[in-house]
Amino acid sequence: MMVPVRCFTCGNVVGEHWEEFKARTREDDENPKAVLDELGVERACCRRMLVSHKDLVDIVAPYQ
Amino acid sequence: MSEQYEVEFIERGDREATFLVRGVTPAFANGVRRAMLADVPTLSIDEVRVVENSSVMFDEQIGLRLGLVPLTTPRDEFSEGETVTLALDVEGPGTAYSGDLVSSDDLVSPAEENVPIIDLKEGQRLEIEADAVMDTGKEHAKHQGGVAVGYRHLQRIEVVGDNEAFEQDDPRIVRGVIEAEGELVPAESFGNDLTNRYEGKEVEVHDVPNAFVFDVETDGSMSVDDLVLAAVDSIGDRADELAAAVQL
Ligand SMILES: [Zn+2]
Repeated sequence: MMVPVRCFTCGNVVGEHWEEFKARTREDDENPKAVLDELGVERACCRRMLVSHKDLVDIVAPYQ
Repeated sequence: MSEQYEVEFIERGDREATFLVRGVTPAFANGVRRAMLADVPTLSIDEVRVVENSSVMFDEQIGLRLGLVPLTTPRDEFSEGETVTLALDVEGPGTAYSGDLVSSDDLVSPAEENVPIIDLKEGQRLEIEADAVMDTGKEHAKHQGGVAVGYRHLQRIEVVGDNEAFEQDDPRIVRGVIEAEGELVPAESFGNDLTNRYEGKEVEVHDVPNAFVFDVETDGSMSVDDLVLAAVDSIGDRADELAAAVQL
């Protein structure tokens, strides 16, 4: 629903990068690989946390 | 085991470091690694009193997210079991961030300000009061100060001869740090492939006995220096405890 705070595998905090990652890849159409490299999200386990995330708050909010 | 270890930094940052330790046994190296993960206490939110939560997430989910936010833990200021109170009060529309947590102690604050806790819509509100407790990674992974802490043997590269001309070289992958011609070289600098560095040469790779390259990263609750020193201290404390316990 909300981006996970930490990487499930290694415990690195990844949540802080989500909004920048989302803005740059989904709106500005930048290459996700380059964005993750720049953000310093190095390991594959942490990268998949951001790459595979989908915000769902907007979808469930009307049914609250 | 020798009394003196030799420590050499290859990379040294506040939250990330690579260093070489010589003169320790594999058991001790692993002891340090485990102490960094399980025995160094950090502050982390453990109890949440919810005043109002009209967000789309349950109280428990909010509690989990708050617990995972790293809090700065100054060394030697808190002992295990001590608590610090934090509060958060955000009204929608907007997002509640880890940075919105207000701490009652100036020494303790969220290490990351930008972690979204929950997205709040019009009319929704999150107001909580939370107790951060000092505890170890043994109790819960949220108290683990070290992230992806590991070590590997230092490897020495020796050139033993020439490869026959035009022979197809298979890649020879090494990781971490190598010792070559008496110098420490991060394997990344030659693409982790020895055939890039020693083109046309035949090389042998040997583990250097009792030399370990540590990779340490922290979640921001403390610096790498503090984490490693606290880990080594905790091993010393336990050894003293054992010595005291076996004396009759
Ligand atoms: Zn990870």
